[in-house]
Amino acid sequence: MIPSTASSSPGAPPVFSSSSEPSLGEDPADREAINGPAGLVEAVLRHPRRVIYQLRHGTPGGLILPLLSVAVGFVAIYGLIAGSFSGGVQWWAAPVKLAAGMVATAAICLPSLYIFACLCGSSARLHEVAGALGGLLALTTLLLIGFAPVAWLFSQSTESVVMMGCFHLLFWLVAVRFGVRFLLTAFRHFGLRSEAGLKVWVVIFLLVSLQMTAALRPLIGTADSLLPQAKKFFVAHWVDCMNQHSR
Amino acid sequence: MITDRSAKPDFQVGALLRGDTNTIAGWIERWTAGQAVRQVLVIAVGAGAFGAAMGSWRAPEQAAWSAVKLPFILVATAAGNALINGMLAPLLGVDLRLRESFAAVLTSFALAAIILGAFSPLMLFFVWNLPSPQPGAPVAVAAHSVLLLILVGLIAFAGVTANVRLLQLLQRLGSGIAPARRLLLAWLTVNLLLGSQLSWISRPFIGKAGIPVHFVDPHALNGNFFEDVARAVGELWSHFFR
Repeated sequence: MIPSTASSSPGAPPVFSSSSEPSLGEDPADREAINGPAGLVEAVLRHPRRVIYQLRHGTPGGLILPLLSVAVGFVAIYGLIAGSFSGGVQWWAAPVKLAAGMVATAAICLPSLYIFACLCGSSARLHEVAGALGGLLALTTLLLIGFAPVAWLFSQSTESVVMMGCFHLLFWLVAVRFGVRFLLTAFRHFGLRSEAGLKVWVVIFLLVSLQMTAALRPLIGTADSLLPQAKKFFVAHWVDCMNQHSR
Repeated sequence: MITDRSAKPDFQVGALLRGDTNTIAGWIERWTAGQAVRQVLVIAVGAGAFGAAMGSWRAPEQAAWSAVKLPFILVATAAGNALINGMLAPLLGVDLRLRESFAAVLTSFALAAIILGAFSPLMLFFVWNLPSPQPGAPVAVAAHSVLLLILVGLIAFAGVTANVRLLQLLQRLGSGIAPARRLLLAWLTVNLLLGSQLSWISRPFIGKAGIPVHFVDPHALNGNFFEDVARAVGELWSHFFR
């Protein structure tokens, strides 16, 4: 269930952002309740300020689970599309690995996000930081769903693992770009004084995500085992794939 | 309702990270044994988690030993230098009592430990992706070097951040930037002197492939950190200029 505390606490004080935007809660639309998963998806996409307002003034941690559930559901659907490239065991392995990898990446990166946010002057509490990260993941995976038809079409049209890997990487980078924008917007309303630390964190998040794809390989294509037998840096894995492709 | 967080005398991680000097100065001025215990616990958990993550590359035993040794070094450095740090403060123009200077140093160490603790999941994930330590394997030597570099980078980040916050705190507690800088430099020097030797005695923290895991090196008390540095410089000198 998604909390609708905005209606229960209409007198909550507006939070002043550092940008020229109106302060959070000043616009009555910010305070509207978010009802159900469809309402949450619409809010993440069209009314991010509503999500940020709920994170700030709603039930502590109330939106974290819904945002994470939406993200896990969407990334699993995208995983099905990615798995359709090879079929067989990848029909279920790719969605499971993508969902597990995303949750693990979030868990690994959450403490450092909190640290960087505080060092940059943000007054966000841990559950608000977790909510902002949940928003990043929800928006990123939502955009991946938008790319899914294109990804499916290419999955059925090519046999090149490298080519498909490049497409998935491109879609993911575009989606993460918008997810990061949500995160930065949220932290501007959480009293951020400088974005430098968060930009460093974004680099860490990207590196962990990319390494996670190497740690859980194969996500596309096939292999003798479900998980890798040898540990490999993601760049080395890409180089190996390209060398195999060129032979 | 907006609560005035600065009014709370309790140790707060968020206020420490944000460098909320009014709140931190409040803790220092009303520092209690309970707060000291909480800060030591924070150091034990934060630095311990980071130590465990870096030691886990070599073996589970190394992880356990490093989880004990890293927080020990931080607390022992703060305790061992408490007297000299407390004496240097008034001499260098910052009016702090012994208890307050110890509290300030311990607070900055707690901040470094929190940052290290927050990076420990990243460190663990990084270590998990490294090749295993196999004796004689070039890849294991490279992995050890990469791990060492990452370790130095993260500890440097935590240390610099903690010292920047300590400088801001000393400015707030003292009388301007110049005495605060002088005192910070003096504290850094004496803490480096003791901390580096304690680290040297407590080695290894990562461990090496093919060398058995020990809580401390069997030859830990032979020589010191600075002799080792001087010997390394001498060897490099004779290698290039003989």
